Amino acid sequence: MSGFDPSLLLTVDWPEIGTATLDTLTMLGVSLLFTIVFGLPLGVLLYISAPGQLRARPRLYAVMSFLVNVLRSLPFVILLIVLIPLTLLLVGTSIGVAGAIVPLVVGAIPFFGRLVENVLREVDRGVIEASQSMGAKLPQIVFKVLLPEAMPGLIGAATVTAVALVGYTAMSGVIGGGGLGDLAIRYGYQRFQTEVMIVTVALLLVLVQALQSAGDALVRRCRFG
Amino acid sequence: MIEVRNLSKHFSHEGRRIAALDDVSLQVAAGEIYGIIGRSGAGKSTLIRCLNLLERPDSGTVKLGEQELTALPEGELQLRRQRIGMVFQHFNLLRSRTVAGNVRFPLELAGGLTPAQMDARVDELLQLVGLADHKEKRPSQLSGGQKQRVGIARALANHPDLLLCDEATSALDPETTDSILALLADINRQLNLTIVLITHDMRVIRQLCDHVSVMDHGKVVEKGSVLDVFLQPQHAVTRSLLAETGFGQGERVDAWRARIGVPLLKLTFVGEPTLSPVLDKVGRETGLRVNLLSGTLSEIRDTPCGQLLVGVVASDVELPALPEIFAREGVRCEVLA
Repeated sequence: MSGFDPSLLLTVDWPEIGTATLDTLTMLGVSLLFTIVFGLPLGVLLYISAPGQLRARPRLYAVMSFLVNVLRSLPFVILLIVLIPLTLLLVGTSIGVAGAIVPLVVGAIPFFGRLVENVLREVDRGVIEASQSMGAKLPQIVFKVLLPEAMPGLIGAATVTAVALVGYTAMSGVIGGGGLGDLAIRYGYQRFQTEVMIVTVALLLVLVQALQSAGDALVRRCRFG
Repeated sequence: MIEVRNLSKHFSHEGRRIAALDDVSLQVAAGEIYGIIGRSGAGKSTLIRCLNLLERPDSGTVKLGEQELTALPEGELQLRRQRIGMVFQHFNLLRSRTVAGNVRFPLELAGGLTPAQMDARVDELLQLVGLADHKEKRPSQLSGGQKQRVGIARALANHPDLLLCDEATSALDPETTDSILALLADINRQLNLTIVLITHDMRVIRQLCDHVSVMDHGKVVEKGSVLDVFLQPQHAVTRSLLAETGFGQGERVDAWRARIGVPLLKLTFVGEPTLSPVLDKVGRETGLRVNLLSGTLSEIRDTPCGQLLVGVVASDVELPALPEIFAREGVRCEVLA
């Protein structure tokens, strides 16, 4: 790659870039949604079942914690391939945007769950003790104390997860997942079309920046006082 | 009201078993303010947490009225706790809620009220603690004293019959402490609410409590009415806790005696005699002339009282006759010759 001619940008296939952008946004949006739906309860469960916590179940915690570590230690590329049978079972196809979402979610749940667990641990023990002293039941503690008190941290965790998911979507090209990362690899890397590489990388950068800014703005809005 | 029997609780710390509570028993009468004092690590924090079972004792029982708390299943205990208020040293307010939201919280937990009824109750409570103007503020916008007022309003929300105060004024400056103590005294009077508090500050005991237990190393080493404990402390730990108040300084007697070489009298005043010229009157009658060495005159709750250590410079009567002469004036006199 020597001497990049800016006029090459005019030759970029913009409609294809558009489709890829939409694919990335779809994968990101759907997988983030499912990650939160499953990851948040997982994080709460990890938190309350940990030794010394509200409903300490040391053995259950050890098992869950181990599974979370296993999933987190698998490189995402491997996960993509290992999960093909599960993906087929759940969405009927193992390729394309739909095929990418299952491994994205499976990869991100343990990541987000662990972040949630850590955020919840930062909630002041004294506040939890106070609510226990007022006779709060466990669900009341979770929904009225833990989650509201941890909200800025939870939004922060969701933001970090969303940014990580953008990175994962790029790899889903391996199974024909599509999206901007896929485009960057196929055209930019494999066919030496530097202009496509530049455009996709720029778009990914904008996306990550936008996610981070949106997350930060939300955290600022719900920070207390 | 409260009957605590043979409470014991151990913690293991780095393989060693440490007794936080060692066979503690005490009784609290309905409507009184009961203080538990001790240095940090004496076990008082564990004790107050055993009163609503935030901490489970290893053995022993806690009875509230006719109900044995230690025998209640978890669900019933949660219900009972709704009517045991608790106030904390570090306030423990929900940062995610406003002042009104924090006071509303225990009402939401208990259920049974409509939103309008809850709002009315919140207004009533904020009025009681003097925070009606701060309803919509966040805890982070309040001073320490104001935060504690929110904590107190919250603790009173479900009409408790018992209020537990865990070092409620220890994080506050002296002026704010006085105003919070005044508020607690007020609540005790107005609502006839039983209050149990723990503190390491004898001033809190002196200003607020009817009875007191002194704790050391997980044991209650002395207990009684606040007047008795201040004026006739029996245990070394009590005397050392009293040092800054000027009461009960028996151990200084020897030092004084050695220094001035005359017989000493310890005079204890409670109530009316504190405000009368007793020393002057006895002096005229008996030719007693004294040298004032140390002492304190103060109020314990609302009773004026004091204790003076004096050296006898001259006396027309025999020293052993003095206690009776002072007793006629309502003053307790001990000859420390």
